[in-house]
Amino acid sequence: MENIISVRDLGFDYGSGWVFHKLDLDIPRGDFVAVIGANGAGKSTLMKMLAHAMPPTIGSISYYGIPIEKFTEWEKVGYVPQNPAKMQRDFPISVREVIALGLVEKKKLWQRFGAAEDEKIDKALAAFQLTDLQQRKIGELSGGQQQRVFLARAMVKNPEVLLLDEPATGIDAASKVALYDMLGEINANQGVTIVMISHDLELAAQTAKSALCISHGICFRGDVHEALQHHHKHGYFYR
Amino acid sequence: MLEIFEMGFMQRAWLAGLLMAITCPLIGSFLVLRRQSLIGDGLGHIAFAGVAGGALAGCSSVVSAAIATIIGALAIEKVRTKLSDLADMVLAIFFYSGMGLAVIFTGMNKEGGFNLSSVLFGSLMTVTSSDLWIVAGLAVATIAFVIVFYRPLQYLTFDETSAKVSGLPVESLSLLLAILTALTVALSMRIVGLLLVSAMMVIPVACALQTARSFSATIMQSIIYGIITVCLGLVLSYYLNLAPGGTIVLTSTVLFVLSLLIGSTKKNNPVPDVHCKVCDEDQENKCNHPEFPEYKKEKGYRGHHHGRKTIKE
Repeated sequence: MENIISVRDLGFDYGSGWVFHKLDLDIPRGDFVAVIGANGAGKSTLMKMLAHAMPPTIGSISYYGIPIEKFTEWEKVGYVPQNPAKMQRDFPISVREVIALGLVEKKKLWQRFGAAEDEKIDKALAAFQLTDLQQRKIGELSGGQQQRVFLARAMVKNPEVLLLDEPATGIDAASKVALYDMLGEINANQGVTIVMISHDLELAAQTAKSALCISHGICFRGDVHEALQHHHKHGYFYR
Repeated sequence: MLEIFEMGFMQRAWLAGLLMAITCPLIGSFLVLRRQSLIGDGLGHIAFAGVAGGALAGCSSVVSAAIATIIGALAIEKVRTKLSDLADMVLAIFFYSGMGLAVIFTGMNKEGGFNLSSVLFGSLMTVTSSDLWIVAGLAVATIAFVIVFYRPLQYLTFDETSAKVSGLPVESLSLLLAILTALTVALSMRIVGLLLVSAMMVIPVACALQTARSFSATIMQSIIYGIITVCLGLVLSYYLNLAPGGTIVLTSTVLFVLSLLIGSTKKNNPVPDVHCKVCDEDQENKCNHPEFPEYKKEKGYRGHHHGRKTIKE
């Protein structure tokens, strides 16, 4: 199967030793990878490098066989951050405006949005049950609703890959289950490849197809249950 | 009554004031939401150093101020990206360094020969025709910039990391915004006064933030608040014989208090998540589906590690 993301000899050092090093990773089309590890293990660092928001110290990352520095088709990659609306509760932006941001691309910097874009936004609003909330300010929504908005923003451009940086942080248990449920369906029904940082081990184990655990600078890639065992063995909770 | 519109200096004051009422809130909307509300003031102090340095070197104060503020704005932007959590501290350092440099340049200038006050703190009542052209050119450049790059600017203002991941040229856009801010401060302060430029970048936006419910509404409302402020301020300053810059700023402060009162009555409560997790029906429709733990148990979370199975209703 075609590898969407390939990582070779990847390492990162903030200046006080390797966060992780010699990481080799292949993520085939349609995979659902849960990235697990203790706080400070380097999960977010890896995600930022995969998202091209931070350069690695050594090693390389490629998308569809193209080195990340030369990769230009970012419309194929959706990104869901840790809830940014939570940090800016009073930011004046409506749900519809947030989803529309997902359609902004480098190639279309000058282009005005028309009927085609409006239709895509309407579809995304309907798919994520946000139609009634589209004129509300993002800060007025609950944590679960906000994460649905960010997922809709990432999905509005029909990406082939979804990168999720702890998407369930700060939301209640019921909303977490609904979110994982939604991600499972996106992966199963639409074939979207998902790479997701998760602290919800039980939900991750039930939803993801494989896992990558980062612990003490060493990465273990494999089956979800094996990865979880590796984590417990190497002090997941008490690093 | 109409004499306020008849005299030439008042006509120029109206035009310059209204152009500033559009330009400053337009650019200020992005600055305030990126938590750079004090950048106008900070750049003003760097411009002070530019004016003093220009006088020392014997070149035009406008050109030297523009060069100093552009260099300052680019440096602030570069350091801000490195120390994003300490953006206000970075601004304060540049603020004081600009002031320090200005004091040194002024001390080194034994010939004097320039009136710092008139260069830095111009007045709406002394605007000339050529000044008007400069303000108009600035307004056109700012409006064009925002119209062309509206959505990318909106994206990087709201969520810079995601904008970067989308492949947008975040750094270039931020630098362009910084240059435009620097030019606005350097070219306008001599004409309408540093106080007015800095305040108009912030207070109308602060008013709009109390009443607007979207990004586009915030920009439009901040311009409307800016225009109301300038009109009221100019009328009051003319009839009460007060300094126009100060009167406009205080008018905008009163408007902010009013918008705060209006905003507090308009604020909505958070929206509860009312959808049933099973069928997505609104809870008010009483779909009678079991609550979350039962749903989780019955609907397929079986601990299987090869992917979440599709829920069968």
